[in-house]
Amino acid sequence: MQAVNSFVAAYLKKKGFKEAEQLLEDLHSKDSAAPIDFHNDPDLAKFIHHFSQSEDEVARYQDGYSKLRSWTYSSLDLYKHELLRVLYPVFIHSFMDLVAKGHLQEARTFFNAFHEDHQLMHSRDLQKLEGVLSQSHLEEMEFARSLRQNKVNVKICQYSYDLLLQYLHKTQSSAMLGVINEHINFQATSGQPGSISDDIEVVTLIGSCQDAANQINQKEIHWGLLEDSLEERSEKEGGLLSDSEKTEGENKEGDAEESKKRSAEGGKQGSSTKKLKKDKAVNATAKSTRLEAKTTSSAPRVKPELTLPIMSTEVEQSILEDLRNRVQLSSIALPSVSFYTFLDTHNGLNCSSISHDGSLVAGGFSDSSLKVWDTAKLGQQTGGATLQGENDSTSSEHVVRPNGVKRSYTLFQGHSGPVYSATFSPLGDFILSSSADTTIRLWSTKLNANLVCYKGHNYPVWDVQFSPVGHYFASASHDRTARIWAMDRIQPLRVMAGHLSDVDCVQWHANCNYIATGSSDRTVRLWDVQSGECVRIFIGHRSMILSLAMSPDGRYMASGDEDGTIMTWDLSSGRCVTPLMGHTSCVWTLAFSCEGTLLASGSADCTVKLWDVTTSTKAPRNEEKSGNPNRLRSLKTLPTKSTPVYSLQFSRRNLLFAAGVLSKKV
Amino acid sequence: MSNVPKEAIEVIAQSIGITNLSPDVAIALAPDVEYRVREIMQEAIKCMRHSRRTVLTADDVDSALNLRNMEPIYGFTSRDALRFKRAAGHKDLFYIDDKDVEFKEVMESPLSKAPIDTSVTSHWLAIEGIQPAIPENASVEAPSDGKKAEYKDDGTSVDVKLPVKHVLSRELQLYFDKIAEITMNRSFSVVFKQALLSLATDSGVHPLVPYFTYFIADEVARNLNNFPVLFALMRVARSLLQNEHIHIEPYLHQLMPSIITCLVAKRLGNKFTDNHWELRNFAAKLVASICKRFGHVYHNLQPRVTRTLLHAFLDPTKTFPQHYGAIQGLAALGPSVVRLLILPNLEAYLQLLEPEMALEKQKNEIKRHEARCVYGALLRAAGLCMYDRLKMFPSLLAPPTRPIWKSNGKVATTNKRKASTDNLMQQPPAKKIATESAMGMMPINSMQADVQGAASSFSNTVGGSNIGVSSMTRPLSNDNMLGREVGGRVSKTSTVLAQAWKEDTDAGNLLASLFELFGESMLSFTPNLSFHSSFD
Repeated sequence: MQAVNSFVAAYLKKKGFKEAEQLLEDLHSKDSAAPIDFHNDPDLAKFIHHFSQSEDEVARYQDGYSKLRSWTYSSLDLYKHELLRVLYPVFIHSFMDLVAKGHLQEARTFFNAFHEDHQLMHSRDLQKLEGVLSQSHLEEMEFARSLRQNKVNVKICQYSYDLLLQYLHKTQSSAMLGVINEHINFQATSGQPGSISDDIEVVTLIGSCQDAANQINQKEIHWGLLEDSLEERSEKEGGLLSDSEKTEGENKEGDAEESKKRSAEGGKQGSSTKKLKKDKAVNATAKSTRLEAKTTSSAPRVKPELTLPIMSTEVEQSILEDLRNRVQLSSIALPSVSFYTFLDTHNGLNCSSISHDGSLVAGGFSDSSLKVWDTAKLGQQTGGATLQGENDSTSSEHVVRPNGVKRSYTLFQGHSGPVYSATFSPLGDFILSSSADTTIRLWSTKLNANLVCYKGHNYPVWDVQFSPVGHYFASASHDRTARIWAMDRIQPLRVMAGHLSDVDCVQWHANCNYIATGSSDRTVRLWDVQSGECVRIFIGHRSMILSLAMSPDGRYMASGDEDGTIMTWDLSSGRCVTPLMGHTSCVWTLAFSCEGTLLASGSADCTVKLWDVTTSTKAPRNEEKSGNPNRLRSLKTLPTKSTPVYSLQFSRRNLLFAAGVLSKKV
Repeated sequence: MSNVPKEAIEVIAQSIGITNLSPDVAIALAPDVEYRVREIMQEAIKCMRHSRRTVLTADDVDSALNLRNMEPIYGFTSRDALRFKRAAGHKDLFYIDDKDVEFKEVMESPLSKAPIDTSVTSHWLAIEGIQPAIPENASVEAPSDGKKAEYKDDGTSVDVKLPVKHVLSRELQLYFDKIAEITMNRSFSVVFKQALLSLATDSGVHPLVPYFTYFIADEVARNLNNFPVLFALMRVARSLLQNEHIHIEPYLHQLMPSIITCLVAKRLGNKFTDNHWELRNFAAKLVASICKRFGHVYHNLQPRVTRTLLHAFLDPTKTFPQHYGAIQGLAALGPSVVRLLILPNLEAYLQLLEPEMALEKQKNEIKRHEARCVYGALLRAAGLCMYDRLKMFPSLLAPPTRPIWKSNGKVATTNKRKASTDNLMQQPPAKKIATESAMGMMPINSMQADVQGAASSFSNTVGGSNIGVSSMTRPLSNDNMLGREVGGRVSKTSTVLAQAWKEDTDAGNLLASLFELFGESMLSFTPNLSFHSSFD
């Protein structure tokens, strides 16, 4: 036994398989705790010994792989897909082995011969790997490096595992055995072969070890809503009002007094009573639905970990007003969609943003400018020169055009690179914009001026988002970090590092204690704002993540990628609830309706799609069994007239605003 | 092997002045260059995505280079896509088409307009989930697309509501399938006649019109060598056009190409026995009826049709059947079209045609037959036109024509045959005709002398060559010249024909010149009914 082990160790050392060597030592120290330890198999060791002397490596890889492949394809149907799963890691590692050993030409032939098998599932990985043409590239490319450094976990059933071992025994293909040994970590499970969807890693081979991800996902997160939020208050109030309606006849005045006190201290008596009357009409209709909504949104409450800004009472009033007038949306009551179309952008619009009340629309352009339109004045652009004169003279650059033509928008100039993202503060009085010039700028829509320039990132800032309460904001950058900022500090408060590639988008959790980031490494991560730690890794996307949205109840998150796939995630478990398929191109934007029943998605395929999230989250199991879950979830597709949808925003009253650029058909 | 071959490296090295690059260096550099290019492209794609685009531009590559702290590549910032051209003689060598721009031109050209400033408009994409039908919204797609997309996912039934404009009832679907089947396979049966009748009269067919027009267009394109099917399809088209209850106008654009195809296609049917002449006649009538009925609605309908036909007619590379179809189509559109478009070209065309009809010049029996058919069509077209003119000026029908006809009639009767226009082309070789009588009595107004010559030549030709009316060719008139100068006469007739479209042109002149070209068969178109008695 000892002899065999020393053989193996010597072989591994000779071949430079440090990882495996380490593993072997671990195994021995743990006294072979692995489920199946084929290192201790004397026959196997003999093969290894035998083949370690053979020099004709290249042919062995080619040969071994093609044999393994044909064997897999001709294996039993029941176990075939499990065995096919093994092929992909074997393929990429064989390829990288060949590259690492300097057989570049051969590696290339090998790649070309077999890459088509995996094109469907792993096209993007293959595209990356195709470029690996020398040893130094393996070192340089983080994707390849992480693959080389980590083992791939493959879950297969016991029988498939036995089949594979048997085959490797029989054919004595040491090259394949070496690859499998070195890079694949089998987790043999007893019982029936599982279905392909159970194993996420089949589709995404990420660099970081799955174990680490699992470990991270064990951490506790408090996804509940904030205590004493306005929504909560309005719900209480709604309940009170509906209660009070019963006794309306008796003490009308007292009722008004009481509710006024509750709703907000210090509001004007007259306005509040007026409002009350209006509310009652709304309440009468929405009473029942609201009560239902209340029961569903009985989310746990958490304490804020940040010091939150204090809201002025007037603002609070107006928000409460909005909440009272909110339209209840569901799969049968779809929202109205107001669409803002940008015309004549000359391919220069990079991003757009709509304020929460839909009154302002901002566009970030590749000529470094940020332009803000007041939607109330949209219709009167031609005639309203006098009306806008005032507005224009106060615009940040103080230029009135010589010919007297007034702009229909407010121009914000200050960036020195394409503006990649813009976001309105919850109240619409500030705009943040991020740019390729590595800065984030804060603009005031009241003063039409630049207030602060935040420098901290070292590379273009792809995305910036205000927190739901304002004051704080998060940014995502090409430098692979996400950062948390406060408006009154020019230095970031937190730096979230951990993504393996660009951080492409960022989104706040409803309770402001977490942010989610989507990255080109095809993972979404959730970070604790207070500690700056990564608390969840969501693996499952097959391409770059472009958009994120958090459900208002704080429990779910949706993410959209380059291929048009949208995934919804359960934050507490870190699992994918359901993939929503339907878009055929990049999902640029996602938005949850205010009560969290609908998800709207806007895509480069010129559609806005509405998805039913309640069915998908409440009973995912049943639907998956019934066969066509997507059917039920996709409620409506709203095609635009060749206008890719750049941004979506539900107003507090649940009106959906969308914006996009009219693009000419090619 | 890799995408960047070592030759590329060598070329680049040469272009920057390194002439003695060793091959080893090139081989070592090539993979690294490819890796770097891929790296840049990966970054460029990121920039593209963050600019919310799906098309990579030169700007994205510049931004990517910028990210890597490299100089951008200058000179490629145009917004247009770069056009790659294939190098002549090489299969896979491309270059960017870089046009030379004259500096002077750039200087002198007026300043281009400033681009329109960006603006924002708003509209309702949906109101409570329903898309209002306003111009800002995409039009509701054809139901077929949506259905296909839905069914692609899996075979299960769809509960998503599709933007279906109209749904065919089961009965209509059956009806359509049945008609299609009969048209394709049993066009000779009695059932087909009934089907045509049903199509022409039923009021409930309207929902099927788009399907039928598509069916016709599709099947015509597919069955160009299947004569019975083509004919059946044309009949279906006619029935649809006849139906007063249906509103076929919106589908005409789909129907017209098929009919025109059946009129002027190079080959219709694959057998010699297929009587494609008949199909062409039929299609010509259809075209004419469509133009008549919808001409006032679509003002460009008739001009487009005539343009197409005239192109076919005037193109000498086209085959005779195509010419035939074009002539028939034009003739069916009315005498004025003939006068405008055929007559000015008649003279020249006949010169081309005549050698093809002559036995000694054209040995191919089929070709000759075709040429004769074309001749017949021309004759009919010109004759009808003339008839139309003569009707307006009945006084011109000078008595002098009468005796000619009489004599001809006599000839005809003596030869025991009917000289009706219908079987003109099939006329058996004429026997010897008494030339004197014809010659002596041709005193038609100004053109008298010429016509006389023509008539005489005609008569003598007929007599001499013995091959029938189709050989009434002017070139042959040399055989029996009465001292006529051919060239001069030709020019004269051409001018008359060319002027024929003018309203004031003397119909008599027309008759004369046509007579000159066609000979006596033209006279059968003179509108005096009394002549016809001589045939009977």
